Amino acid sequence: MNDREWNTLVSVVQGETLRPLPVGFIIDSPWLPKWAGHTILDYFTDERIFLEDNFRAIRTFPRAVFLPGFWSEYGMCTEPSAFGAVSMWEENEFPFAKKILRSPQEVEYLEKPDPRKHGLLPFVIKRLKHLQPEIERSGHKIRFAVARGPLNIATFLMGTTEFLTALKTDPELMHRLLAIATDFLVDWIAYQRECFPTIDGILLLDDIVGFISRRDFETFGLPYLKKAFSTDVTVKFFHNDAPCKACAPLLADAGINLLNFGVQHTLSDMKAWTCNKIALLGNIPPRDVLAAGTPEDVKRSVADILGAVEDCSRLMVSCGGGMPPDAPTQNIEALISKVEALTQ
Amino acid sequence: MPDLTSLREGIVTGNAAAAVSAARSALSKGVAPVDLVTEGISPAMAEVGRLFEEGEYFVPELLVAARATKEIFQVLRPLLAQTGAKPRGRVVLGTVQGDLHDIGKNLVAAMLEGGGFEVTDLGVGVSPEKFIAAVQNSRAQIVGLSALLTTTMPAMKTAVDAFRSAGIRDTVKVMVGGAPVTRNYAEAIGADGYGENAAASLELALRLIGG
Repeated sequence: MNDREWNTLVSVVQGETLRPLPVGFIIDSPWLPKWAGHTILDYFTDERIFLEDNFRAIRTFPRAVFLPGFWSEYGMCTEPSAFGAVSMWEENEFPFAKKILRSPQEVEYLEKPDPRKHGLLPFVIKRLKHLQPEIERSGHKIRFAVARGPLNIATFLMGTTEFLTALKTDPELMHRLLAIATDFLVDWIAYQRECFPTIDGILLLDDIVGFISRRDFETFGLPYLKKAFSTDVTVKFFHNDAPCKACAPLLADAGINLLNFGVQHTLSDMKAWTCNKIALLGNIPPRDVLAAGTPEDVKRSVADILGAVEDCSRLMVSCGGGMPPDAPTQNIEALISKVEALTQ
Repeated sequence: MPDLTSLREGIVTGNAAAAVSAARSALSKGVAPVDLVTEGISPAMAEVGRLFEEGEYFVPELLVAARATKEIFQVLRPLLAQTGAKPRGRVVLGTVQGDLHDIGKNLVAAMLEGGGFEVTDLGVGVSPEKFIAAVQNSRAQIVGLSALLTTTMPAMKTAVDAFRSAGIRDTVKVMVGGAPVTRNYAEAIGADGYGENAAASLELALRLIGG
C-alpha cells in the first residue's frame, strides 16, 4: 500500500467523506493466484510469483486500495502451524490444517507458540523481508500485521463443531484455549511490528464471532478481541463475513475502527448497529455478483447499494468479504468505475 | 401418554443428560419409541429451529440441542428397528469431496433425524461414487450435499452430474446448502432444493418428498 492509499484509508477511518468514494478489496490466495494465472501452491511457495501477482493486481487496478497489501499468508494454515497442526497442501486448493485437540480436556496440554520459531510464521516474515526492498522501491510499504482471530484459531485447533459445542459444555476450558490463542496473537502481532516498523494497522479475520449470540460474544469474543487489538496502531481492521448483527454493536468496544462484513446485512443497518463509529468496507455480493455476474450486474448492484446509503462517511466500497475466487477483471473494473461515476 | 415436557426441555436447552434420562423414563412408562420421536423430539427440534430463525438461538445452541437429540437416538434406534416403525423419509447426507467441514452437515442431520427422517451420514470429503452407492443401498429419497468453501462448491455440480450419469438423478431429490451456497447456485447446478440454514432443512426435506 503506497502513501496515497494509506492516507485515503486513514481518512475514511477517521470519518471523512471522500469524493469519489474510495474502493478497496481484501485480496489473498483465494482470488489472486488464479486471476494472475498461477496455482495456489505456486503462489505460496514462490516468492517471485507472490510478488509479481501482487504487483500485477496493483497495476491492473490502480484506483483500488488492496488490503492488507502484500499479505504474506499460507491460507488457513499460518497460525495453526505454529501450534503444531499438520498442514495439507494441494496444487490448487486452499491448504487445510488438521486439528490437534481431540477433546476440550486436551487444552490443558496446549502450549503458546513462539512466533519467531514455530510453524510457518518465520516463513511469513522471511518472505516479506526478502521482498521488502522491491516493495518499498515501488513506493509501497508493509502497513498491516495480519492474523486470524482468537476464535478462528480455536476452531482450527479443535474443529468448529467441537469448539462451538464446548462453549456450552466446557466454558472454562474454552476460556483457557482462547487465552492461549490471544496471548499468542499479541506476541505474533508484536513480532510483525518489530520486523516491519512501517506497520501501523492490524487486520484480524474471525468469522466465528458471527456464529454466537451477543451474550456469548461478550463472554468469549469481546475480551479476547480487545486484547488482540490492544496495540497502539492507527487502523484496527476486522473481517467477519458471517452474519454479525449480534456482535456488531460491541465491535467498537474491541477497538475496531474498520470492518469488512458480509452480504447478510446492509450498509445502513451496519452503520446503525455500530453507531457509525466504525468505517465499513463493503458490501457488493462477492460470489453471485462480483464473481458470477456480468459487468452490468455489478453496476446495478453498486447503484442499489449506494442508493440505499444516506451517510457516506466512513465508507470504502468493496465486496462483502474478501475478493472471491474467479472475480474477473471486467467486473472489478465495472465496480470501480460505477462507484466513481456515482460519487464524484 | 406421559408428559414429555422434560424431554423436550432437555433438547431445547441442550441438556443431553436430562434429555436422555427423560427419554428412558418415558420408555419405561410404556411410551412407544415412535411416539417419543413424533411427540417429543420432533416438536423440540422444531422449537429449536424457531428460536434460531427468530435470532434467539445461535449455532452453539443448535449444536448442543443436536447433541442431545443424537444421544437420545442412540437409545431409540435399536428400539425403532425392532418395532419396524417407518421413517418419514430417507436421506443421505455428506460434505462434498475436497471439503472437510462438518458443522452444517451435522446440524442438518440432527434436524432431519429429529424430524423423523432416517439419515445416512457419510461424513466429510465424500466422493460422488460414495453418494451414489449410499443412495442405492439405502433407497434414499433425498441426498443432501454440503460445502463450506467457495472452492469446493463446484464439487456439488460434479456430484449432481454424476447422479445423472449413474441413472439415479430422477429417483432422488438433491438438496444443497452451506455458507457460500446460494439459491441461484443451487438452481444453476440443477439441485431440487436449497436450504439457507440448518433450521430450514427439515421443512425443505418434507417439501421435497411431498410430506
